[in-house]
Order: sequence, then structure tokens, then C-alpha cells
Amino acid sequence: MNFREKLDSGKFIITAELSPPKGTDLKSMLKDAELIKDITDAVNVTDNQRAVMRMSPLAACGILKSKGYETIMHLTCRDRNRLALQSELLGAYALGIRNILVMSGDHPVKGDHEGAKPVYDLDSVQLLGLIRELNKGYDFSGNRLEGKTDFCAGGVTNTELNEVSLIKLHKKIRMDASFIQTQAVFDAELFSGFMKKINQTRPKRIKIFAGIIPLKSEKNALFLNKNIAGIKVPENLVARMRRAKNPEALGIEIAAELIRDLRDICDGVHIMPIGDHGNTKKILEMADIL
Amino acid sequence: MIISTQKELKEILKTLKEDSIFIIGCGKCATKLHVGGETEVLEMKNRLAKAGKTIAGWTVLSSACNISSWEEVLSLNPGIGRSAALLIMSCGGGVSVISKLSEKQTYPALDTESLGGIGGEIQKEQCGMCGECTIWKYGGICPVARCPKGLLNGPCGGAVEGKCEVDERKCAWDEIYDRLKKLGKLSHLEFIHTPRNHAKKLGRKKN
Repeated sequence: MNFREKLDSGKFIITAELSPPKGTDLKSMLKDAELIKDITDAVNVTDNQRAVMRMSPLAACGILKSKGYETIMHLTCRDRNRLALQSELLGAYALGIRNILVMSGDHPVKGDHEGAKPVYDLDSVQLLGLIRELNKGYDFSGNRLEGKTDFCAGGVTNTELNEVSLIKLHKKIRMDASFIQTQAVFDAELFSGFMKKINQTRPKRIKIFAGIIPLKSEKNALFLNKNIAGIKVPENLVARMRRAKNPEALGIEIAAELIRDLRDICDGVHIMPIGDHGNTKKILEMADIL
Repeated sequence: MIISTQKELKEILKTLKEDSIFIIGCGKCATKLHVGGETEVLEMKNRLAKAGKTIAGWTVLSSACNISSWEEVLSLNPGIGRSAALLIMSCGGGVSVISKLSEKQTYPALDTESLGGIGGEIQKEQCGMCGECTIWKYGGICPVARCPKGLLNGPCGGAVEGKCEVDERKCAWDEIYDRLKKLGKLSHLEFIHTPRNHAKKLGRKKN
């Protein structure tokens, strides 16, 4: 079953995130990928995340694909205009990449090439619309393609949404997003409120995957709260991390608890560890997923 | 109004290799913003003189970007002819016009930032100059200029408690939401906006 078929089957989906290397050496990415190969439905490959320059996700996905991985290629609007986005997508399809996750992308001033020109020729809603056109067999100017794409496209969202952000999320759904991956969730009750809100309007075929970041330490929790938009580690979890004799083990336990709580209210989880996937299998086992 | 800020003197001195300098200010935006009016031109004159430059003269044109007769400017300001270079205290528009008319070496004393205005306080970056104005759809707030990503269909996920991920400004999309709410036009948020046509901005294609 490929990823789209899995979405349609109603299976609880597990995805996990990989970063392409900063450089040409693929060893550590491939080693990390090996850790999640048999326990995920697809691996996400990031696109210069936090605006820090790395190898292109197209190349990284192509290599992973050749090694038998089902990938979800991230594609931000930050670095490419509509010509480059389309070339990239056609190239990705030719290499066997079938799943795309679309997002605006962190602004260049947040990353390691502060002076870079921010492109944002399209926004995430328009990029989903572009993929819909490629899937129909046309480019963004309406020219017919020699060979169309058949991408399964998704978008992202925070889980604490004001009204204008919720309207944008609905626009992504209107543009045929098949799945939505959320920013990291730390409070199952708040997340359940988010799900109630979007369940009022979402068609059931749109799948929602909750983001999971296993905490490493109290410091790490405070860092996330301070620096990453859309993440809120509640005070009680911060306190638990503070008191823990083995914070990393507690982080694993909390992640597993969350997955157990989220299992019945959303369609899957997306695991984004800080560092490598050394604990990912254990988390899924503890959450009774494996 | 064109929003400009003054360059630091040391930066100006780095480029200004000529000795005899004529300074030109602008009576419009640069005067209103206190970066290139008479006061600032005279200040610049003193600072350059202190740095060892010869000042061939100075003037503040009524508008540096709107000059009907350069001959008239020259006859009123004979120092321009004697000078080796012009230091222009206006926006880039003024520097370009004067460079073309004077055919002299010109140097900008200002950095031109954005198109904005003064409504009580200085408002930077109010218009993205995209060549296809649809600001009415956004409650009169231009997302091309106000959002650092120029997002047309709603906010990114980067704002924290209403603050933009890029700097201290408020999220433009919160402002658009608030304004549309006041206007009773929240339904405008449902529009799916197509991407901008950059050919229009270049003025090379009009359809």
C-alpha cells in the first residue's frame, strides 16, 4: 500500500521527520532513516527548515526513494518562484516522489543566510492550487503537460488558531490538501478542542496528523516555548521534566502518553525528535502502536 | 510618501572620494521626515567640512524628483558647476533624476526604504507598489507591504502572540482581520487570492 492508499484505508498513520545533511555526506541521514524504516508509513524530508541551508529535499527524497522509503517531500514557498516550484515538482514526480507537504517556510532572517532574498512568489494556499493543476495535467499558466503528476499533497497548521488562521486552514482544504500535519502537540485536551473546531467543516477524507516532539530536558521545553511559534509546553509538563531523574526517559514516556491520548481523536502522528530517531521506536512501542 | 533614512556619516565618507562637494536636499518627503531638509543639509555641510571636505554650496530643491528645468537649478546654484560631485539628500527617485539631468557623479546620503506616509506618526511600508492594487480586499491594509512574506491568503504560522516572526511589528494579518471586522467585511477573508502578476509591476505587460 502506498501512502495515499494508507490514508484512504483509515489506518492510524505514523510519519517521522528527517533532515537532509548540511553538506554532501549522507551517512547520518541514512543511519537515522534506517531507525524508522519499518515503523513509519512515510518519512518527511524537510526543506531548509528554520531557514537553515541544507541539501535539497528533492535530492534527499530521491536517494531515500531508491532505498525503498516512501517519502513526503517538504516544499516551502520561501526559496523558489513559480517556475522553480513547478520544475522541482516535475523532477520529484519523475524520481518517484508522490507526497508533498507544502508550507510558507520560515523567513530567511530566522536562519543562517539572513540576507537572502525572501521569494514567497506563491503562498501555501496557492502552491496547493498549483499542485492541483499539475495533477490535472496543466502547468500554472494553463499549458498542457507531457505527462501529468499524481501527487498526494498536504499542508501544515498550528493547533491554537485565531479566526483568520482557521480560515486559511480551510482554504488549504478547499485547495484539495489530502492531509494536514500540525505543529507539536503537548496538551491532548487543547488538541481535542482544535479537532472539534475543524471537524465541523472538514470532509472526512482530509486526514489530520498531530505533531509529536519528545522532550529532552526542562531546558529544551523552555526553549521550545520561547523560540518556536505555535508550540506551548504546559507548565505541568515543564515541572515534570524539571523534577525528573532521567529527563530523556520521561520525555519518551510523555510522548507515548500523548500518542495514546491522541489516537482516538486524530488520524495519525508525526514524530519530530530533536536530534536523531534513537527513541522513536521505543515511543511507538510504549504507545502500543507497534 | 517615500520613507528614507540617513546613512551614517562614515559610510558616506567611505564613498565620497571627491573633494569639492555640492549638497542637494529635497523639500518633499525628506524634509517632512527630517532626513534631507534644510536643517539636515546644513548639518551635513558642517559635518563634511569638519571631515576636511570643501563644500561648493548647497540647496534644497522643492522636489528632487520633479525638476522642470535643470538650467534654472544651475543658474541659481553656480556651485554645482564648480563641484566635483553631488551629495543628494533625497530618496532614490531624486538621486536618479538629478544624476540623469546633471550628468555628474552623484552620491546618495539616504537609504530609501519603502512607500509609506505620516498619519500622526511615521508609517513605513504601507504599499508594496505591485502595480495591481487590491487593497480594498484587505480592509485597506496592504499585505504585500505589511507582511514580510507578502502572503495574500492569510497568516503563516510564525507569529507569536500577535507579533511577527521577523521583527517587532504586529502580524499584518491580525490587523487585516481587525479592520475587516470593524468594517463588517469579514467575508472578504474567504477570497482565495491568486498569485501576483509581477509583469504588471514591471509595466511591460498590461493584461
